[in-house]
Amino acid sequence: MIEKKKKTNPWQHALQQLDEVAKRIDLEPWIHKKLRHPKRELIVSIPVRMDDGSVEVFTGYRVQHNITLGPAKGGIRYHPDVTLDEMRALAMWMTWKCAVVGFPYGGAKGGVACEPTKLSPQELERLTRRYTSEILGMIGPEKDIPAPDINTNSQVMAWIMDTYSVDRGYSVPGVVTGKPVVLGGSLGREEATGRGVFFTLLNTLKHLDQSIEEKKVVIQGFGKVGSVVAKLLHQEGAKIIAISEVDGGIYNPKGLDPEKVKAHRREAGSVVGFKDAEFITNEELFKLECDILIPAATEEQITEENAPQIKANIIVEAANGPTSPSADRILKSRKIFVVPDILANAGGVTVSYFEWVQAMQGYFWSEREVNLKLRDIMTRAFHRVLDVSLREKVDMRTAALMVAVKRVAEATRLRGLYP
Amino acid sequence: MLKKIECIIQPFKLEEVKEALKKIAVEGMTVTEVKGCGRQRGYTGKYAPDAPIRLLSKVKLEIVTEEEKVEEMISTIQSLAKTNKIGAGKIFVIPVEDVLRIRTKERGRIAID
Repeated sequence: MIEKKKKTNPWQHALQQLDEVAKRIDLEPWIHKKLRHPKRELIVSIPVRMDDGSVEVFTGYRVQHNITLGPAKGGIRYHPDVTLDEMRALAMWMTWKCAVVGFPYGGAKGGVACEPTKLSPQELERLTRRYTSEILGMIGPEKDIPAPDINTNSQVMAWIMDTYSVDRGYSVPGVVTGKPVVLGGSLGREEATGRGVFFTLLNTLKHLDQSIEEKKVVIQGFGKVGSVVAKLLHQEGAKIIAISEVDGGIYNPKGLDPEKVKAHRREAGSVVGFKDAEFITNEELFKLECDILIPAATEEQITEENAPQIKANIIVEAANGPTSPSADRILKSRKIFVVPDILANAGGVTVSYFEWVQAMQGYFWSEREVNLKLRDIMTRAFHRVLDVSLREKVDMRTAALMVAVKRVAEATRLRGLYP
Repeated sequence: MLKKIECIIQPFKLEEVKEALKKIAVEGMTVTEVKGCGRQRGYTGKYAPDAPIRLLSKVKLEIVTEEEKVEEMISTIQSLAKTNKIGAGKIFVIPVEDVLRIRTKERGRIAID
């Protein structure tokens, strides 16, 4: 099991990051103060008729941190740990993520505190529709565009789109991204985050003058992101030596075949038990001898306990916030090259942006076109951050935040303060 | 969408690449003997920044195809034209606005089938 550790309050963490960057870029106090406060926060009670006839009331949130650059963008998650502070932090990180990659978007996040595995598909649909109805005034293609996140998928997005469209009286595909392709979803969206991580890693290796071939890679998480990264890296000649999930992992120093692992997972429900490998725990995974570590699971997996033992010299953060603040300091002092989440996993929001653009135009691109544009955007963002990192002699995370906050600050300065 | 794959490879790799492309149903291609240089400016041994540029002999293959076939083709060419040394070549993928078969006046996709 990935044990539940005492997590840092994410909102305090996000504010602290902002404060540090503000100091470093000499941010005007009024802009700094404005950015410390989310633009809008909505807390809703969601009464849902359960299958047994009883009624449960769930709590849902939608937070828009900033909309200076354009409509807010951010996922919706269904998870028991969802809190207002978590939504605030994730919304702020979405602001930075959209800004670092250069989209005309602000940041938002939403969620419902619930245990989705205990809900039937019908209950999930009623929950989704009522939640959508409660936040209806806040979302829209020009206002705030939700997307899938933890425990939400293209079906949930289809329900949100339908609920919103029924209210308006016409179809509004641009209200959410991550929709099924037949409803105006984009080709390549499913693989987008993983593919973006892959491009980021290739850019990192090029910068460090290293080749991908024979590199030993360890991946934590084998879901929508980890499995795609594994497949693409394997195709390029890297050796995936370990993969883990919530219930443990598999290890083979000679390399694993991601397609075979995927086939095993489809039958067994987990990577554990794959025949050409030995079992390892998630804690052992972080200590493995390897070149590249890709955390693609959940938050705060790299901690001050395991950070000193990591052998990789490159870490690409495919998950959101996989490194605790104290672990981050350790990695920095150990000179490990860390590509931060807001840059590394921006492939998802990039293709979400493409989906929104395609929906607004009503004209759709081929998958190849999507993937080429994704590569172009990820590469440009990487170099924008790398340039700042080299020029200012800061790590990539600080550089990414500097790029992002500067961009939002410049827009805020130009727009001025109303009235 | 039609694309042109234009690749510059080592002359001694041509035979193999040509035959492999035939196997994946490539109907036509244009091959030209060319001269050129890359980042090494024609020097394969040591780095010689002040020496004059040397042009090396290569062959250029040009194939027009449908977008859906591009990945298969470039991976075929890439794997066979690879020499594990510098100077193995490059592959360019270029958008093609239109194609016209002169004899029949067919245009677009049907003009390359």
